Amino acid sequence: MSSATIQYNTRSDYRKRKNRLFYWLVIAMSAITVSPILLIIYKLIIQGYKQINWSFFTKVAPNTLEAMTANAQGEVIPGGILNGITGTFLIVVMAAIIAIPVGIMIGLFLYENQGKRFASIVRDISDILQGVPSIVLGLIAYMWVVKPVTHGFSALAGSVALAIMMLPLIIRSTEETMKMIPTSLKEAGLALGVPYYKVILRVLIPTGFSGLSTGILLAISRIIGETAPLMLTTLGSSAVNWDLTKPTSAIPLLVWEFYNDPNMANLIWSSSLFLMGFVLVLNIISKRIAAKQNR
Amino acid sequence: MKRILLLSVIIAMFAACNSGTNNSKKSDDKKSVAITAAGATFPLPFYNMIFKKYSSESGTLVTYGGIGSGGGIRSLKDRLVDFGATDAFLSESKMKDLPAEIVHIPTCLGAVVIAYNLPGYDGIKLTPDLLAGIFMGEITKWNDAKIQANNKDLIMPNKQITVVYRSDGSGTTNIFSDYMSKISTEWASEIGVGKSLNWKTGIGAKGNPGVAGTIQATEGSVGYVGSEYAFEQNIQTALLKNAAGNYIKPSIQSISASAQGELPANTCIMLTNSSAVDAYPISGFTWLILYKEQNYNNRSFTQAEATLKLLDWVVSNEAQSSASKVNYAPLPEKAVKQAKEILRSVTFNGEVILK
Amino acid sequence: MKSDKIFKYLLFSASFLVIIVAAGMVFTLSSGAIPAFKEFGLKFIISNQWNPTEGRESYGALPFIAGTVITSVIALLLCIPLAFSTSLFIAEYFYKKRVAMFLSTMVDLLAGIPSIVYGLWGFYVLRPFIVELGLSPQGYGIFTASLILAIMIIPYATSLSSEIISMVPNDLKEAAYAMGATRLEVIFNVILPNARSGIFASFILAFGRALGETMAVTMLIGNSNIVPTGLFQTGNTMASVIANQFGEADGLKLSSLIAIGLILFVITGLINAIGKLIIKKLA
Repeated sequence: MSSATIQYNTRSDYRKRKNRLFYWLVIAMSAITVSPILLIIYKLIIQGYKQINWSFFTKVAPNTLEAMTANAQGEVIPGGILNGITGTFLIVVMAAIIAIPVGIMIGLFLYENQGKRFASIVRDISDILQGVPSIVLGLIAYMWVVKPVTHGFSALAGSVALAIMMLPLIIRSTEETMKMIPTSLKEAGLALGVPYYKVILRVLIPTGFSGLSTGILLAISRIIGETAPLMLTTLGSSAVNWDLTKPTSAIPLLVWEFYNDPNMANLIWSSSLFLMGFVLVLNIISKRIAAKQNR
Repeated sequence: MKRILLLSVIIAMFAACNSGTNNSKKSDDKKSVAITAAGATFPLPFYNMIFKKYSSESGTLVTYGGIGSGGGIRSLKDRLVDFGATDAFLSESKMKDLPAEIVHIPTCLGAVVIAYNLPGYDGIKLTPDLLAGIFMGEITKWNDAKIQANNKDLIMPNKQITVVYRSDGSGTTNIFSDYMSKISTEWASEIGVGKSLNWKTGIGAKGNPGVAGTIQATEGSVGYVGSEYAFEQNIQTALLKNAAGNYIKPSIQSISASAQGELPANTCIMLTNSSAVDAYPISGFTWLILYKEQNYNNRSFTQAEATLKLLDWVVSNEAQSSASKVNYAPLPEKAVKQAKEILRSVTFNGEVILK
Repeated sequence: MKSDKIFKYLLFSASFLVIIVAAGMVFTLSSGAIPAFKEFGLKFIISNQWNPTEGRESYGALPFIAGTVITSVIALLLCIPLAFSTSLFIAEYFYKKRVAMFLSTMVDLLAGIPSIVYGLWGFYVLRPFIVELGLSPQGYGIFTASLILAIMIIPYATSLSSEIISMVPNDLKEAAYAMGATRLEVIFNVILPNARSGIFASFILAFGRALGETMAVTMLIGNSNIVPTGLFQTGNTMASVIANQFGEADGLKLSSLIAIGLILFVITGLINAIGKLIIKKLA
């Protein structure tokens, strides 16, 4: 009898072994999945923590001479990314205002019209939109908003480009979340004579809130770090700007400037750390809200 | 949790308002004109610095986006900006694409340095022929007889040469290829001049930091980097033989020296392969472009005047003297004089704006 | 009821909006691409020339199409087992436990990193690693780019999948357990069939993200305009070449870049359609 063959006494032994094996496989794969993120966070923190101080959040971006002198003296670069923070905030909030309602409505439409031809077309188009490179969307927003609407680079154009990027994520996650809700819930509401839109708003959406917020969170994370479309639409700014029709800065745009400037490389890491921190906060908030809803 | 969030939002808004008022105090008195411009990335650090200074001192907010010369030209063509910035001046045929006549204003000089990575081998001397051979893939080792013959005081190592070039379209590539076409007929016929090229050998990296970073990480590599970036880093640069026969190290002085020759009235000239004695051979201007007739698209006289005042300041001594601090070469006197003359030819409804 | 009709009409108009947006995009792209197609004809799609020299301009999209498809497919293949395992970890094995919340937050953080930072991290950390492993002299290439893409798209596949898996009704699972099924069997025979649609949707989203990614790929792929013939060779992708050359392009070159954007649009649609067909056949 070869010692290499595994003896299975019963079929259930075999099934149990397979089960155990798979369990450990899942754990191993998950560990592999999480390792890049830990490595990246580590690198960002190590390179970026020195630049994070109070002025990081309250001052606008420094110019290259200030950075150069600070580097030469081994000091922290003065200034911060306030113009980027406010710009990103403005653009992202505007994009969310455009994309979230539209995305959820389309997701609901697809949910309500499973199997219909028109719905399939809409779904396919939404999937295709997901694959469009962000710079092409920037070009589209340049032609549709910058030229005809705002006659110049503007935050609004950037928001439009980013909103188009958010749509497929929100649409798909809304539809799939709704599909997972047992139809009995919907039917119970309708059977009680509740108007359809109320059933959606008061029953289905709260139930699926966790899934919906995942989609929204993913969409916001997706756009918050995008550079290319903003270069063609909002251009950038050295000052804080709250006007939607004027050029605005944004954190990814600042990161691009820092990249190309020989003296400001250190700020890249701290800016990215900030973005990640922001996504983390959003994440925690959405999980808290979802937990409350589920009670 | 909610309270912490509320508190942080309040703090953020407070901080934002604070820095906002510092900027707007000076512009509160007059209706603030804002100037927008877009274009080349090469002078971005310099422009950001002087525009920021101008914004805070004059109260006119100047916004500049480094989206590339092509983007700058496009934005000016679409009349979305007050002026554009470009590293390569527009040829006659390209100028025809624009809806109206434009003028070029030079603002500063930069250069392309040949950076390499051979620890212990500083100050390698390269002739135009060697450069052509290396970048076209004909010379593949550092101890090739031709390189060795030109560097008799060094014993060249037996290492593979890896060429690194810019993968993104750039004015740096344009200046480099313009020089190469002038000094090598083979290059001129096979590769030519342009912001991006059909390279025969090597790897592409994005932006100056990409090229510089790749060179620093790869022993035996050689590539071209914009001087504004290279001077700030600790990279080895080669000495190039210029048209006068001297080996020149790239520096602010040798870059400025290349602009000592004759300038055409519209300042559109490539300064590469200058015949000046101390000139660094791969240098060039960068320009700002704007429409000659400023009354278009419902532009106001105030807007046009503000634009011209800004540009006049950019070529003035105050702005130019800060250029060398950040590794850009200031304009020589001749160029400043011509730039000011051109500015005084820009009109509004046919009338000259600046006196 | 009247309110029902209004509501349904509202949903319909929203969907119509997306069709208009897409149609508008195709129109804008097409009109920009016409000069290129007029000059090169349909050969543009299969030509592997990319010569930007003035006077001798000749552009073709083949190297970029090849690069995009190869890197995205490899990235998806690398991502699927990782994302699937991780979503099972979060939504099934350790559902609602602290370690799962931690893992889920970590994965979501991956989505928030700007793509330029992925490019930088890849350049400063991943690339030397690949060089050390001896896989490639400079570390640039298809493999490195696919690797970073895989990392970037994991959150898209994982987040949605784990949500969907967690929503599989408990009574279905309990019924299976009651019959003596192991966890593995419940996963593959109950959860998977039920959540199949959502999981597949998440992979489509991830794949789309990979197809359109620009910054990170452009910093790691080596940017040579050739059709890659080896895993560790350098190449280029459609999104990357557009991002690299767009700022400086004009005339015929700009038109060629826009044409490439249009082709990417079409290819995304084709690959999505093929993927859905395959899944239908497998079902």
